[in-house]
Amino acid sequence: MWLNNVVAGLTPGATYAIVGVLLTLMSQLTRVVNFAQVAVGMFGGYISLTLVTKMHLPIFVGVIVGVLVAAILSALLGWIIATWLSEASTSARSAVTVAGLLFLISLAFILFGYRNQPFPTIVAGPLFTLPGGAVVSKVTVVVIVLAIVITVGSWAFLKFTAFGVKLRAVSDRQMAAELLGLNVKMLNVSVWFVTGAIAGITVALVGPSASNDYVTLSSIVIPGAAAALVGAFKRMDLALIGGLAIGAIQGLFAGFPNLLIVRDWVPIIFIILFLLWNQRKEVWDVAR
Amino acid sequence: MSLKLNDVTVSRGVGPVISNVTLEVTPGEVTTLVGPNGAGKTSLLESLSGVIGISSGSIELDGVDISKMSRRRRSHAGLAHVQQGRMIFPSLTVKENLQLTARTKADMDGALALFPELEKRLDSATVLLSGGEQQMVVLARAFASKPKYILLDEMSLGLAPVVFLRLIPVIEQIAKTGVGVLLVEQFAHLALKIASDALVITSGHVSYHGAADALLTNPELLKKAYLG
Ligand SMILES: Nc1ncnc2c1ncn2[C@@H]1O[C@H](COP(=O)(O)OP(=O)(O)OP(=O)(O)O)[C@@H](O)[C@H]1O
Ligand SMILES: [Mg+2]
Repeated sequence: MWLNNVVAGLTPGATYAIVGVLLTLMSQLTRVVNFAQVAVGMFGGYISLTLVTKMHLPIFVGVIVGVLVAAILSALLGWIIATWLSEASTSARSAVTVAGLLFLISLAFILFGYRNQPFPTIVAGPLFTLPGGAVVSKVTVVVIVLAIVITVGSWAFLKFTAFGVKLRAVSDRQMAAELLGLNVKMLNVSVWFVTGAIAGITVALVGPSASNDYVTLSSIVIPGAAAALVGAFKRMDLALIGGLAIGAIQGLFAGFPNLLIVRDWVPIIFIILFLLWNQRKEVWDVAR
Repeated sequence: MSLKLNDVTVSRGVGPVISNVTLEVTPGEVTTLVGPNGAGKTSLLESLSGVIGISSGSIELDGVDISKMSRRRRSHAGLAHVQQGRMIFPSLTVKENLQLTARTKADMDGALALFPELEKRLDSATVLLSGGEQQMVVLARAFASKPKYILLDEMSLGLAPVVFLRLIPVIEQIAKTGVGVLLVEQFAHLALKIASDALVITSGHVSYHGAADALLTNPELLKKAYLG
């Protein structure tokens, strides 16, 4: 029974994990906490939906276009920040993403209307049943695998490719990188593009099985940020584990009707615990 | 062929920190720039490489006006700027630091030939190196970009004089390959020894411009220039 609930929490958990990893990458490589991280994916999702339902395009075409739209919107936001706020503080840069989030939500209301339709399903059905009777769906496995691939893939890309080395250099010292002739803006915008595309893919996968209204979907950035906090916005591996843990704990609470309300508090509790723990460490540092 | 600053004024915060400065860096030679703290040496280098803008005058690199170019384009035009402080990329290994600018294996080998002692540290994180070794990486990295002109801002800062002595002949060697070097240094005597030209700058004005030898052999002249 409880295992069933934990397993059910793994799909949202892996989603939080992906968002947490993306937020970590963005924070490390482009000095921004990207509140619009999921909103661009949401917008891409509705573009796909429109193409499939209104224009009767095949699902895969709709999804590809949607993912591209998410990537381009993200790149556009990154370009704006890299152009006008290239030397601004992280908070000023992040504030622009809040504006982007609100803009995309209101634009979605205008373009796609007030009544939400479910997204077209890409992956569906159960994959296997655990010994205790808990059913593991295909989506769950696909999203968990995606989360792991993104984490390991990003790590390897940053470590082993020349492009990754340049991204790390910009992250270390932007000015010194510019003086060496690196195209800091192009490097930054490419990170926005790729993380936007991944957000688009993630929404295409989990959107159909989640409540997909504009605000709820875009707000996945909050549990995503809680996951990123587990890795202090620095470590992708901890963000991955954090996201899965938050999802699993939420699922566990869902099994107790009295505690249902607590479920939505799990990410916030993670955030508060992190802040307290972080505070404690600072006190400890001072005491030394 | 030279790197030229024509009648340049640079303002920063309250007012001008560089006032109507004209100078010329010749390929293959070291030009040394000295002056008291806060005189504007760093600001001058920063205006050359585009870290800060100029309010009047012009900057020319081999006859091309670069004053409006971005930092990146100035770098591609052949300007390298080693900023004050340790400008390593801490999360990168020594090799990765050099790979940022070395386009070919020959560039890489040329850079390592300056400091053979770096060979065995290639895979170490740069942050783990000593201050002197870090400055070697920074200098080698700048050289690997095959610059026409290189600006060096107080590489000796925080280094023991013996450690800095290791860098001096290398700077001279870089100039011998045809690179024009603009050297800013607190250790005026060491820096003047390898220079042909010298400038003394005090509160944004050039108070001496001439042969480096003259300053070296005439301490009174240096003192007077420092006092403005
Ligand atoms: N970022 C800044 N904003 C405003 N004023 C600055 C800034 N940096 C330097 N200044 C001012 O510009 C003037 C020149 O400073 P600069 O750093 O160029 O001198 P310097 O000759 O390099 O000094 P030092 O030998 O200490 O490195 C000083 O009066 C300094 O206060
Ligand atoms: Mg200085």
